[in-house]
Amino acid sequence: MKTRRLLAAASLMVTALLVAACGSGSGDASGPVTLTFQSLSDQPAAIAETQKIVGAWNTAHPDVQVKIVQAGWDSVYDKLITQFNAGTAPDIVHYEAAGIEPFAEDDYLADLTPYLSQAKHDDFQKGVLDSVTFGGKVVAFPTEVQSYVVFANKKLLQQAGVAVPTGKTMTWDQLRQISKATTKGGTYGLGWGLSSPTAAFVALAPGFGGKYFQGTGDQANLTVGEGETALPKLVDEMAYQDHSVLPVTLTQSGSKALAPFYAGQTAMTVQGSYQAANIAKDAPKGFDWVVLPPLAGPAGPAQAASPQTLSVNKDSAHVKEAAEFIDYFTNTDNLAAMNEADALIPPTNSARQALATKLASKTGWDQILASGQYITSAPYLFASKYPQWKDTIATPAYQQFLAQKIDANGLTTQLQNGWKSVTTN
Amino acid sequence: MRLLVRPAQYVALALYILFLGFPLLWLMSASVKSSGELNSLTVSLLPQEWHWENYTEALTRQGLLHSAWNSLLVALASTVLSIIISVPASYVLARLKGKVRIAGVGWILVSQVFPVVLIILPLFLILRTLGLADNLVGLTLVHTTYMLPFALWMLQGYVAAIPTELEEAGAMDGASRFTVLRTIVFPLLAPGVVATAMFSFVSSWNEFFFALVLLQSPENYTLPITLNTFVGGEGRTALGPLAAGAVLAAIPSIVFFSILRRKLTSGLMAGAVKG
Repeated sequence: MKTRRLLAAASLMVTALLVAACGSGSGDASGPVTLTFQSLSDQPAAIAETQKIVGAWNTAHPDVQVKIVQAGWDSVYDKLITQFNAGTAPDIVHYEAAGIEPFAEDDYLADLTPYLSQAKHDDFQKGVLDSVTFGGKVVAFPTEVQSYVVFANKKLLQQAGVAVPTGKTMTWDQLRQISKATTKGGTYGLGWGLSSPTAAFVALAPGFGGKYFQGTGDQANLTVGEGETALPKLVDEMAYQDHSVLPVTLTQSGSKALAPFYAGQTAMTVQGSYQAANIAKDAPKGFDWVVLPPLAGPAGPAQAASPQTLSVNKDSAHVKEAAEFIDYFTNTDNLAAMNEADALIPPTNSARQALATKLASKTGWDQILASGQYITSAPYLFASKYPQWKDTIATPAYQQFLAQKIDANGLTTQLQNGWKSVTTN
Repeated sequence: MRLLVRPAQYVALALYILFLGFPLLWLMSASVKSSGELNSLTVSLLPQEWHWENYTEALTRQGLLHSAWNSLLVALASTVLSIIISVPASYVLARLKGKVRIAGVGWILVSQVFPVVLIILPLFLILRTLGLADNLVGLTLVHTTYMLPFALWMLQGYVAAIPTELEEAGAMDGASRFTVLRTIVFPLLAPGVVATAMFSFVSSWNEFFFALVLLQSPENYTLPITLNTFVGGEGRTALGPLAAGAVLAAIPSIVFFSILRRKLTSGLMAGAVKG
């Protein structure tokens, strides 16, 4: 009897499902143009800001309505590749410069060059705009950028008799000295989550003159020389010669390395600039922290960045309207608001200025925004096989190096041979 | 010595349950911890302060309840469908002799070796042609198709375990083929059907990749897809709300299991003895 009731209930569910399905996916052919905007915003404040911007657009443009389709960062590449191949991609695609290269290569993204005004072109940082320019075409507008900065526990620096650096930039040698000076009594100078070190090493290489890649697409070549190995060697020396890096952090993610920082086990931590928001939220009460000046190597404070981007699906029936929406989304006020919500750095000078004025009194923002001006083009963005090389070759090789299982020569050999293997397969 | 055996068995069982249940306890603990505590070095099962806001955020953000409803519909529908198809098919598969059976078993095994990434694009194109992409019916069909081989494999094992002598005895008593199936085979098969239904339900309830690729509209998202939005870029994960969402997501499975649990053992030998 119970079984029958259960079966009846299940049958009802199937019926309900069919009814629900029949009601879904309906569309109105007439009326205003509707653009689908697949947004990856994940922070509650950023989601709210995205909705606010879209709401304002929809109010001002009754004939071009934008519909937000919320998606997650995790596995979004698989979703996009299926959508593009099947011709069901959204009109407006939110992603990142590091991920759009294959789609640009396969000609899925509209050329936005005609929709980029001279004023906006000049407002974008050149390096950031370069990162979304493929074959002379701007295929996306950058929206948010992150840099790597040093967060420091002010109290521990003072206890070690170290003055908080105040210059426009700070050298890696200075960082090493401070790290040594603050390593005492169970406290380590630095915590750096390097379980997936490739992104950080590649992004920070320009400061040492490192480029890693020349050329584009399948023709890109990898060079691993002094400039490329300088930073891994420096970390190795700090960890094993100076003993000023908390060893466990070398095997942790960036976020995990924050816990020992909060606990006073490390005096400083290298993190993505966006962690400022998390530190402000999660650090214990009374935790006095600062952001140190942008890091500079022998070649300067440059960092290669992969900005978040907005692109237009080339097959969209409304490329022009979608491009106009992106132009609106990336105006000074909207970029400032979005980046404040996401604790990231605006890619335009005007939005960075606006944010600097607004957040002058907020801890760390002055240095974070200052680091944004040194963002430069990232050659790895144009190498088609970079993601594969990063995951299968570079990260394991760097991990072995940081665990002292291979030396610098071994690292260089693994990186170069690995590149050969992924590009010839 | 004998007196100690039973208590020792209970202690071992309790430890085993604790071992199995600890991740769930930890998840529940994480769901009521503040972001600061979750990101600190302090390790404790009990939160320093109870932070129920995680549940509020999980429920209000991204339409979690609507996604749970979608998941429930898809999981129940695909479970019912896979059982309806796999019960008779598994009986035939188990009782058949010769090359057809070998081919059938071979097909089941071969169908399991294809990675989902390999089939997702053609599948998507087929569903789009049928007007079933971005549609819960399409996802139900995909889940059913994907679960069927395992359901068949599982059930045919249960059928094979039922002695053919019981069916022959029924036939000797004058029962028709259908009567034999209804009164002897199906009652004995019930625990297997329940176990298979449980597996099918949980597989569908937790399935992520097909739903991720096939569902485009937020109103059609299933629970794993909505929970996925708590995992941000740059490794920024809203741990508290994610844990709260995961706890809420586990409830329907627990309810489903508790309803079907007794069915697993009841009727284990029902029909084997004529009353």
